[in-house]
Amino acid sequence: MHIHQSSLSPKLKDNRYSIYRGRTRLLLALFILILAVSTGRFFYLQIIKGGELRDLREQNINDFEYIYPKRGRILSSDGVVLAEDRKIYSIAIDLEQKPSERSIEVFANIFSDKTDFESVKSKVEQSLKFRRSDIVLTKIGQEELAKFLVRGEDLIGFSIVEDYERQYDPHPSFFHVLGHMGYLNQSDIDHFSPKIDGYNPKLWRKVGKSGIERVYENELQGKHGTKFFQRNARGDRRVITDQEPFSEGNEIRLSIDYSAQKLAYELMQNNKGSIVVIDLKDFSIPVAVSTPSISANDLRGISTAQYQELLNDPSRPLFNRAFMGLYPPGSSIKPLFATFALSNAYTTWEETIFDDGFFRFEEEQRVFNAWKEGGHGYTDLSKALIESSNPFFMNLSVKYEKSKFVELLESSSFGSKLCEDCYPHQYSPLINDSWKRKNFGKDLFKGDFINLGIGQGYMLTTPLHLSLIAGILASKGQYKLPYLAKSNSLEFSINVDIGEADWVKLNQALIDVVYSSNGTGYRINAGNLNLAGKSGTAQVVDISSREEYDEVRENINLRDHAIFIGYAPFDDPRYSIAVIVENGESGGRVAGPIARDVLKELLDDI
Amino acid sequence: MTFDLRTTILVFSLALIILMGSLTVYSVTSIDVYYFFRFLLISIFAVLLVTLIFNQINLNRILSVGWVLFVLNIIIVLSVELFGSEIKGSKRWIDFGFLSLQPSEFMKITFALFVIQYLRFYSFQFNTFRSFFLLGVLFLSAIPIIIQPDLGTGLVYVLLGLMLLFICGMNKFYFISMAIFGILLSPIIYSFGLTAYQKSRIISWFSSDQTLSEKWNILQSEISIGSGGIFGEGFLNSKQNEFNFLPEADTDFIFSIYAEQFGFLGVLIIFILVGLFILLATIISMEQKRLTDDLSPYFLGTYFSLVIGFSFLLNILMVSGLIPVVGLPLPFFTKGGSSLLCFSIMIGLIFSSRSFLR
Repeated sequence: MHIHQSSLSPKLKDNRYSIYRGRTRLLLALFILILAVSTGRFFYLQIIKGGELRDLREQNINDFEYIYPKRGRILSSDGVVLAEDRKIYSIAIDLEQKPSERSIEVFANIFSDKTDFESVKSKVEQSLKFRRSDIVLTKIGQEELAKFLVRGEDLIGFSIVEDYERQYDPHPSFFHVLGHMGYLNQSDIDHFSPKIDGYNPKLWRKVGKSGIERVYENELQGKHGTKFFQRNARGDRRVITDQEPFSEGNEIRLSIDYSAQKLAYELMQNNKGSIVVIDLKDFSIPVAVSTPSISANDLRGISTAQYQELLNDPSRPLFNRAFMGLYPPGSSIKPLFATFALSNAYTTWEETIFDDGFFRFEEEQRVFNAWKEGGHGYTDLSKALIESSNPFFMNLSVKYEKSKFVELLESSSFGSKLCEDCYPHQYSPLINDSWKRKNFGKDLFKGDFINLGIGQGYMLTTPLHLSLIAGILASKGQYKLPYLAKSNSLEFSINVDIGEADWVKLNQALIDVVYSSNGTGYRINAGNLNLAGKSGTAQVVDISSREEYDEVRENINLRDHAIFIGYAPFDDPRYSIAVIVENGESGGRVAGPIARDVLKELLDDI
Repeated sequence: MTFDLRTTILVFSLALIILMGSLTVYSVTSIDVYYFFRFLLISIFAVLLVTLIFNQINLNRILSVGWVLFVLNIIIVLSVELFGSEIKGSKRWIDFGFLSLQPSEFMKITFALFVIQYLRFYSFQFNTFRSFFLLGVLFLSAIPIIIQPDLGTGLVYVLLGLMLLFICGMNKFYFISMAIFGILLSPIIYSFGLTAYQKSRIISWFSSDQTLSEKWNILQSEISIGSGGIFGEGFLNSKQNEFNFLPEADTDFIFSIYAEQFGFLGVLIIFILVGLFILLATIISMEQKRLTDDLSPYFLGTYFSLVIGFSFLLNILMVSGLIPVVGLPLPFFTKGGSSLLCFSIMIGLIFSSRSFLR
């Protein structure tokens, strides 16, 4: 049996054998030692660290994602839905059942009008490459949805995804008030973080960028639901284990009157400008219109180029003139200054001056032109208001004490927030020494007051503020801050001290502006509307001579802005209004009739 | 073969290991029950068939062609590099369609046959020349494996080859000096001898950065093992496998899935079975039935028992994170033709060398 029998001595053989035995035992001992170490290691992993590792496994497997909530609706005061989230259907790539060549072909055939085989195929490839469930087609219609569902078996690898899209009332009058939604960026995060408790920007794709959508983001946004699922390592297989539904955002009801708002916008026709109405019952805002405007729906899915085009449009449709536009109030500010002059005894109802169409400022030896050639003749305060005499108010304004004037402006909300939920809105600048120093490096001097006193020069107000000033006059100096959805209920009053008789006389003068044949607003033909008000024209350019004026008129964009502020009914005021028609020239003839029709619509509703 | 108590236990524990291995392979792939039976039957048949074949063939015949088999094996390994199919950046497989083999695995066996044949000629007497010659052959023959590149198999091949020379009685001076040299030269080998992929494996083992993918594999393996707890999640209930968190779950890391399903108790059972099998196989191989001049049956039986035992341990150390990840199969668990065939041949040789001694 053994071929190679060597002739070693038994002793040597024993020696080799015992070395072998010894070494084998050593290796066996090593084996047992390592086996014991391994046992210890498994004991450590499975019994000592078992719970911890098990938790890690659960973290591996169990994942969740948020379900985007349905955003709250925005309603008009009369319950018309102005903004709501509507369900839309999209088609996404299903990672669990990858689309086959055949199903891509069927898909491309069904939606041949929207896409083609190659583009679907490349989307599928991208999607699978990055293991994302990409959307192939978004916002498919009911009919397309039905087609998809019918062919379901041939479309393995594609699935329907439900989502919400913000849908707005398409009328352009609502855009500026409602605002718009956009993708969240850093400035939004900075804006909302201090305002919303526990704000988690990671949860939100889109947020309100302007208007009510932004102001009431917290109320409207709702709360996410959660979808719990188990997933595999590659993330292409999911088993849903639990689901918590989202809670829909709160509804916001605005003070905006649906039909009056639309009518107001239509009345502006092709003019640029703004209309703001305040309900004096609670200082809510039933009408806030800025023209021109766009439909709020138009900003969804707009391309950058289209957006740039809108931004560069010289008529500035994205600019909310009602809350942001600063206009010189012109003569429309005169009634407010009348109360100031009476309160500080700069004049009385009886004082009369002779208005020859000029005001001579002796101190500086300057002569100011008034709008009416030849002037208004002998003029008292009432006539100065009814016929809008500039020399009368210029004559008063040189008497104004700077500190008291600034107090009046301050108490009329110049330089401060006008409205909590108008976003964005511009403050009308508070004209005082520090303002002038900041802008012109000098303090206010007497000459400034001549222009300020007739609502020109540095004086600038927003349409919202002008409407509020009309409201202040109608409610005899008492007011609250206007609002669109929620009032802060704080009461304010202007810093004038005049008696009931003065308010009655002022009211009468403003009635006469509209109803007396020499009133600047007589052409309004206000009829039984019981409208009181004051017209104004705001100079776009500074003109020193009448010849120049005619030249300027040639250019439409340099024509004066037409302004009318007023309230109705004059015996028991309910609404105040401000109408500004850019380059409309005549407050009485152009802005006044618009104010009349808007107020009529509102008062007829009551 | 006579079936005394020890042999019965030996065969019984091997049968249980094969059964558990097949069940685990089935649970990982869980295609269908048919698959389980197929794997089980293949394993049992492989072991029985190979054992029977080697029982029939005289060990002397095998040993007389030892060097031929060894040279053939090296040639095949080299040709695989030229014609083999590439899997995960290294060429080490021959695809037979129904079975893909990794010829380098068999070098553990053919090298042993060659060494025993060579030493037997000199009555297992080492001298300096023979020692250097065998060491030279061992290291040179490791090169084709390492450049595949398959550092793990190559390294294990060298270690097991050294173990064989150790068993056969080579002077311990060589082992001590190699150990010292190895430690001293390791930085140089690391810098110049390793590919980026191999370095990354080693770095990841020492790094605490859990995002490295190698470390991630180990973490996932530890998660599987730990999740098993004492009693395990139950058969077919491995979540790490179900949700694909454990890479190589059906090959190198299969024991982690076993540990998740059967817990520490299941692990203990396998450890005991493997421990019993290796201890008994080695002790039986070592036993002097009849003192012969030819020690080759002792050496072969012991060597192959310990090869199976240490292969098992290396895999266990790897999956539990005690050594770096090297692609080492777990005997009778890992789904793979070559390792199954390889370990079956070893079992066959163990049994045949034992019967040879009788």
